[in-house]
Amino acid sequence: MAKVPIVQNILAANDGVAQEVQDTLAAHKIRSLNIMSSAGAGKTTLLERTIKRLNGRLRIGVIEGDVETTNDADRIAAVGAPTVQIITQGNCHLEANMVRAALAALDLEQIDLLCIENVGNLVCPANWSLGEDSRVVVVSTTEGDDKPAKYPHMFAVSEVMVINKIDLLPYVDYDMGAVKRFARAVNPNLLIFELSCRTGEGLDAWCDWLVSIAAPDPITR
Amino acid sequence: MHELAIAEQIVNVVMTQVEAHQVKHVSSVRIQVGDAMGIVTDSLTFSFEMIARFTPELDGAHLEIEKVPYLAKCRRCKQDFIVKQFILQCPICEQWEADIVSGTEFRVLDMETG
Repeated sequence: MAKVPIVQNILAANDGVAQEVQDTLAAHKIRSLNIMSSAGAGKTTLLERTIKRLNGRLRIGVIEGDVETTNDADRIAAVGAPTVQIITQGNCHLEANMVRAALAALDLEQIDLLCIENVGNLVCPANWSLGEDSRVVVVSTTEGDDKPAKYPHMFAVSEVMVINKIDLLPYVDYDMGAVKRFARAVNPNLLIFELSCRTGEGLDAWCDWLVSIAAPDPITR
Repeated sequence: MHELAIAEQIVNVVMTQVEAHQVKHVSSVRIQVGDAMGIVTDSLTFSFEMIARFTPELDGAHLEIEKVPYLAKCRRCKQDFIVKQFILQCPICEQWEADIVSGTEFRVLDMETG
């Protein structure tokens, strides 16, 4: 019997690959988002509307993560953005090595902002860094307004929260004050956008923020 | 379900050491998990011990988990407090600005051979 010291971060392997992804993106002056939500909150619709609205202002590339099918990548391709679909075949979250492999299929010279749409899940993706600049968690008014209280880790590690489907507020028992209170309780610095992908309300503020973080520098390009 | 993926990462870290030190068998692995990591430790233990059964060098190995409390320090009153349910509010002065002191640890500490 002997004790062998190890002292190594458990997620070091993933974090190392995430760093590689970040370095690759930085070399191409690409900003990146890891977009997470429960299934059905509207991640893909948000991307479709965002890509259409920012056409000509920002070149957006998308990596789609799903357990099965290429449905989401097909939707993104239909609005004209370069897309790669990752099919995780059961895995409940994306890991950095999947993103690294997906990057090879994108022309990085043609992208200002890379949006990585994670698998619909408010638990597992929170632990796996993908090399992104910011984490965005999307919630919607058809879910419970206590999502941030029930899944606090996801909201604690995100920089941005998008509240989608605000056009449905007259028809659902969703307390906007409560969701923001719960979210800020675990993350006082959270940046919050309220919008409706269906009506377009609030999309301008979201798109302006994306442009502010990712628009190409006119001097260097 | 991500506890299974995390257990695989722990096995990978341990197996690298097993090969480096030419260890024949590991009886236990000790890890440190902070409460801010949102890890279900029972699931992690179950997943690790299941993978270990299929790995000759780890067959029967136990996972020992050392938990680290999620602590924050209030920027106003400078008091350390335990963060409950991830709520970063100082229980003394009710200020919302606090810096995390501990709870994000997530590492393999050592392994017992034999």
